[in-house]
Amino acid sequence: MSSFVLIASLIFATYGVAVIEEWVSTNRLRLAGPLISTLRLLGQENILPRKSDRLFFEVGPVLLLIAALLSLAVIPLAPGLIVTDLATGALFFNAALAYVLVAMIMAGWGPDGAYGMIGGWRFLGQLIAYAMLVVMPITTVAMRAESLSTIDIVNSQEMLWNIAYQPLGFLLFLFAGMAMAFVPPFDLPVASGELAGGVEAEYTGVRLIIFRLGRMVLILSVSSAIVVFYLGGWLGPFGPDWSWSMIKILGVAALMLSGGRMLPRIREATLLAWSWKLGIPLALANIFLVGVLVLVVPL
Amino acid sequence: MSVQVIFLLAFGLAAVWFGIVVFRTHSMVRSALALLFSQTAVGAMFLVMQAEFLGVLQIMMMATEMSIMAIFMVMFMMDPGGLGEMDMKHQRKLSLWAGIIAFGGASGLALFGDWGPIATQIPDAGEQVRLLGIELLGRSMLIFESAGLTILTAMIAATSIAVQPPHRPKETPDKSKEPYQVHNHGGAA
Repeated sequence: MSSFVLIASLIFATYGVAVIEEWVSTNRLRLAGPLISTLRLLGQENILPRKSDRLFFEVGPVLLLIAALLSLAVIPLAPGLIVTDLATGALFFNAALAYVLVAMIMAGWGPDGAYGMIGGWRFLGQLIAYAMLVVMPITTVAMRAESLSTIDIVNSQEMLWNIAYQPLGFLLFLFAGMAMAFVPPFDLPVASGELAGGVEAEYTGVRLIIFRLGRMVLILSVSSAIVVFYLGGWLGPFGPDWSWSMIKILGVAALMLSGGRMLPRIREATLLAWSWKLGIPLALANIFLVGVLVLVVPL
Repeated sequence: MSVQVIFLLAFGLAAVWFGIVVFRTHSMVRSALALLFSQTAVGAMFLVMQAEFLGVLQIMMMATEMSIMAIFMVMFMMDPGGLGEMDMKHQRKLSLWAGIIAFGGASGLALFGDWGPIATQIPDAGEQVRLLGIELLGRSMLIFESAGLTILTAMIAATSIAVQPPHRPKETPDKSKEPYQVHNHGGAA
């Protein structure tokens, strides 16, 4: 029963993220929107570019989806409602999402097209900017929980959510997570206004469906991680636990997708400069600060 | 034969197979990613052997490292896509002998080395993480920190060599004769 609830919740949440994505980008709320888009893409011709690296072209979108799904495996929606509670859960989340980069490089390189290739390699530049800002805030979250298990991390926030205990880490992780899921303003790898879709440019039909589905699951996974690490996971005042997880996850996804659109796109070089010159010193300061807090005010 | 051994063999064979693919392909990008999947298979072997932290760490680190290697290959090779059917094998005799000697040495060490008492009970994954942390902040701290500082120094040195001086004196004042101009804006990724 619990695995059925888990799968149903994840499918519902992915669809919810797709609806929100369409809502914020077109300013129209259509509940059937993602379904109609999928049906439209199913009818589209599956174009195979000339001289493509066929293996990479086919594997790229599938690997994106698999990496995003694997990262969801360690996200608890409620006590007992988790695919696998690994002792290294927080690290595993990061390990799975490292393969998003591999998928993007494959999908960018595969079609032998300039826009796709630039998009794919741009994501590598983006990773060098955000990677440390994902790992270092996770370190402080694990420091407080004294565990890398995601369930322990949620339980450690019973007295006070991490967003209040370590707000700096939350902000850094939020921005880094947005860059990881390449949502605006960090959507340079698929910038539609500039690279004609970037990595997505050469994909059509079923392959594009898989790519977009992978991206939706990725956004869901990053939002869930923010909820688990900083917003107390399933903790709520009343009602069933999983409902609190769902409300928070969809709320964070909506915040990421709508808030990011109000900012201008950041050039890769600028993003790298900000991340390394401002972000990493702040993340180090956060580790120090939380270290002192954990020793002095262990809530 | 237990399920664990079967999985261990399967991942081991996958690691070897992807290692062979590294040299069988013509494309530099395929070669780099084949090496990545070979290393990922090694990470999966650690997971099968219940070394959870080590396995997850290996799987995570290799994805980024091999991708960065791939972009350097693309930048420096003239035919990164392998359209000219470039051969990946060089200095065959030397590599063959180096390979045979290294394989013999590693096998000899594995078979005849003194591995000490074999652990009968494996601590659970959470306990492993804790023990590893204590090890890294205790006995191994000096080695670990020295390695970290060495890598940091190398990174700073490499970056400072790579960064172009911002105001390089121009040799030819006539701009029309220059084929192109390089500005240092930090460089696009």
